[in-house]
Amino acid sequence: MSGAAQGIGLFGAMRIQAQVIGALVIREMHTRYGRENIGYVWLFIEPMILAAAIGLLHSLSGHGLPGGLPTFAFYVVGYTPFYLLRAVLNRAAGSVVQNAPLFYHSRVTVTDVVVARSLLEGAAVMVAMAVFITGIGIVTGEWPHDWVLMALGVVSLLALCHGAALIILSLTVLGEQNVERIVHPYTYLSIPMSGAFVMVWWLPYELHWWATIYPTVHSFEMTRAGYFGPVVPYHYDVPYLLASIVILNVLGLLALRVARPHLEA
Amino acid sequence: MLELRGIHKVFETQGRRKHVLRGVDCQFRRGDSVAILGRNGAGKSTLVRIISGAEHPTRGEVVRRMSVSWPLGFSGATHSALSGADNVRFVARIYGCPVQRTLDFVREFSELGDDMRMPVRTYSAGMSARLSFAMSLAVDFDCYLVDEVVAAGDSRFAERCRQALLERRGRSTLLLVSHQPDLVRTFCTSAATLHDGKLTFHEDLDQALATYHAL
Repeated sequence: MSGAAQGIGLFGAMRIQAQVIGALVIREMHTRYGRENIGYVWLFIEPMILAAAIGLLHSLSGHGLPGGLPTFAFYVVGYTPFYLLRAVLNRAAGSVVQNAPLFYHSRVTVTDVVVARSLLEGAAVMVAMAVFITGIGIVTGEWPHDWVLMALGVVSLLALCHGAALIILSLTVLGEQNVERIVHPYTYLSIPMSGAFVMVWWLPYELHWWATIYPTVHSFEMTRAGYFGPVVPYHYDVPYLLASIVILNVLGLLALRVARPHLEA
Repeated sequence: MLELRGIHKVFETQGRRKHVLRGVDCQFRRGDSVAILGRNGAGKSTLVRIISGAEHPTRGEVVRRMSVSWPLGFSGATHSALSGADNVRFVARIYGCPVQRTLDFVREFSELGDDMRMPVRTYSAGMSARLSFAMSLAVDFDCYLVDEVVAAGDSRFAERCRQALLERRGRSTLLLVSHQPDLVRTFCTSAATLHDGKLTFHEDLDQALATYHAL
């Protein structure tokens, strides 16, 4: 079967890229989780363990939340997407080095690898979220108000992180070894700013504008709005979120372009 | 058709710049079988990696109007943690080949048998080379880049590689990087020497080999 690239046009090229990304996702799963039967399950159990632990800790500590939101659900709905943020950003820097053999194939580009990783992490987190929602629903009878909005919240967070991952990767390739060392603590230190565990409406009114500058806040607010419904006020702005996603991803792709001649297979 | 236009490659490590390729311009047509000769360190492997797309030039562009294999000859293209079979599946999926058919072909050509299920890191150099080569033949590229892989593997495998490459002569392009004149004579109809970062073509194989030895 010939792999000829002549005259296939835009749709042909997109089909090939989809094929490559699909193959990369499968490969990433095999590499990270092995071929043993239980292996794939770790894909979504990993985020769940921490989310459940944090949720339990907070609900057992007895402190309530403004608006009377259920504690366990709040922390789970906050932590699970946050896990996605941490996973995508922390793995970004090593994307090229860890996957060096892949780039020998001319069809596999760095963008493909980063997209495949993002998709895999995104899918894992969404399955984890679904399992939690179902569990909470069965036990407490509380179900999400608008699961589509929830899904959009997670997807928008993924898109933001993907753009950031491209930038981080490009900087690392350009020789900035310290980027990785900054990213790891940053993902922890930025927790308050990220909006994962703090709702904008808790803050004094004067701070609302400042709080919503950081793009991930909008994603988390959307996810919470999707789960809890109109029982408390939410602050998210879809155009701002979309603009942030576009800007980050465009910057990421540009950065990758600059870094490309320095990619040494 | 594969074209290289004004290819420059500069490596910068620890403040020192190494200008390895200084303006390579050439065209390879379907059916060409060209040997690339040059001293160690001349930049042959770099050139091959740039042609394959594994590396990008500092300046210039590569125009590929035919499918190009990955550089055959070292195990860099396989993932050592995955099994041989999983590597084959991955390659089949990337290039849009039917997975089972590719697996069967590779199992048969490489004669790896049950070892296909073992992770590639447990393979010997010969086994890795057989896997890599068999995979590339299964995909049936328009252009094969060979970096002296036929040296690895026992004589029986080398013979099968020879047969396979010769069988593809005329419909596939072959770029062979080698130091061995007899290999060059077997597979190639013309040769180019890489010297001082520039590629010079010679129509006559003997002339090319003589030039290479004189370098």
